[in-house]
Amino acid sequence: MAEHTGAPEPADELRLVTRATYLRELTLKNLFLLCAFVAVLGVLLIFVFVGVRGWPAFTEIGVREFLFGRVWSPSTEQFGILPLIWGTILVMAGALALGTPLAVATAVFLSEIATPRVRSIVRPAVELLAGIPSVIYGFFGLVMLRPIIAEWSGGLGFGAFTAWIILAIMIVPTIATLSQDALESVPDGIREASYAMGATTWQTIYKVLLPAAKIGIFDAVILGMGRAIGETMAVLMVVGNAPVFPKDVFSPLSTLTTQIVMDMPYAVGLHRTALFGMAIILFVVSMSLVAVVRLLSRLGEER
Amino acid sequence: MMRRPILLVVLLAAVLLSACTNTPGRSDQVVVTGSTTILPIAEVSAEMFHRLRPDVRVLVSGVGSSAGIESVSTGSSDIGTSSRDLKSEEGGLGLVDTPIAYDAIAVIVNQSNPVESLTKAQIKAIFQGKIRDWSQVGGRGGSIQLVNRDEASGTREAFSKIVMDKEPFDPTAAVLPGTGQVRAVVAQSPGAVGYISYGFVNRSVKAIAVEGVRPSEKTVFSGAYPIQRTLHFFTKGPAAGLARSYIDFVLSDSVQKTIVGEAGFLPVSERSR
Repeated sequence: MAEHTGAPEPADELRLVTRATYLRELTLKNLFLLCAFVAVLGVLLIFVFVGVRGWPAFTEIGVREFLFGRVWSPSTEQFGILPLIWGTILVMAGALALGTPLAVATAVFLSEIATPRVRSIVRPAVELLAGIPSVIYGFFGLVMLRPIIAEWSGGLGFGAFTAWIILAIMIVPTIATLSQDALESVPDGIREASYAMGATTWQTIYKVLLPAAKIGIFDAVILGMGRAIGETMAVLMVVGNAPVFPKDVFSPLSTLTTQIVMDMPYAVGLHRTALFGMAIILFVVSMSLVAVVRLLSRLGEER
Repeated sequence: MMRRPILLVVLLAAVLLSACTNTPGRSDQVVVTGSTTILPIAEVSAEMFHRLRPDVRVLVSGVGSSAGIESVSTGSSDIGTSSRDLKSEEGGLGLVDTPIAYDAIAVIVNQSNPVESLTKAQIKAIFQGKIRDWSQVGGRGGSIQLVNRDEASGTREAFSKIVMDKEPFDPTAAVLPGTGQVRAVVAQSPGAVGYISYGFVNRSVKAIAVEGVRPSEKTVFSGAYPIQRTLHFFTKGPAAGLARSYIDFVLSDSVQKTIVGEAGFLPVSERSR
């Protein structure tokens, strides 16, 4: 197929296929090109739109006041997003700390330890976690998990801790499936060599396989990080949405994404601009995460 | 095999095209957007209205009073419902106000909380974060957990005006996006305090007496209960056509005498405006 479409002269094509087939191929090829172009155009339009709407946040509020202001209070025209940035980092870091060991252990189990029968049950179950809509996670967190944490901590149960647990579960499938792929792409010869040296399964896993697959696993963690930063609905339902620096992990806090959702329905003027400014920051963060992933995989290829 | 995708694309295009031609069918529907407090009244009366006029659909959604006002002033909806008055900057939008009911805001605590009565000044200090322990207002010791509403909420706006004198809330309070959530969280947390529309108070929570007056149909009726407000329908210019008929229906006895009262609100007709 590739040779056909790559051929410079349509006349050459006609000798190989009928004219109708050739036309159909050409139409489909352009249709797919158009589809791919729509995706690129979408990203570009969103970037331009968010950029144009959000840029005044930096010029009118001031970069210092906007990024490092400690008070978010739209009704008094104070638009400091430092507490929200801190909330985003806190929620993301805790979720990664809880989720990464869980997910990497799952990946090791699936790729190195599980029998094919067990794997055929566990792998779809992990993948199913990714298919659950985030609002369900949020509802589960709000109704089931929050009261337990409330009783345990003596607070309302809204806070970073509740969000950590929910997000940790949510990022497991992302990190686990990608890490499993990374582990499985380690050549069997390396495994066999390790076992032949008398290493146990555990020694093989943590001395040989994990180091060999570390770039792939790091990739997976960064993609999980992107998911944790961008996740909105589930986090919104369990963090308590107070735009302050929380005094502990059981106190209400807010993140960039949740604050955008809470405020967007009614925000006008500079407030709305500030929300778009926050969107720019989220955009830049997620783009740099993708850039890091690309850089890493290029590094991996070069080695 | 090659036929399939083309067929699919054609089908998709056909569906999209027909969707486009169907959208201007707004003439037989009324879009009502706004306050979550007014949602029960608007929804039930919308169903009744649809039974009377089967050709008309009234689409009701609850997204908060400010969003409702924004939506009706931009023309996205026909009626914006609000549980607060217009702010001064919203005065120039050309919105016409129709009061449809009166409502009281109840300050609610957990059923296990022994506190029965608070003054307005105490409630204000609690929501400002100046009083942080129940023992300071005659309760059992234990920290007070504030449950606040989001800034789009008309209940918050009214509470801020009547109780807080527009002074800021304690920013560390949990902010929940709906009346039902506030009630559910307060019902489960022994130290929590929140405020909801009196119409939503049920046995799962305890409504506190304010200045010695417990909210009840009687005290709200007589005006003795101090935290009260008006529920509004806003239209862009005087209501016309189907929006007018729907508003008239909501103001008629068949809604005011039944639904409004059942929802725990005070009918507009009961008190001279």
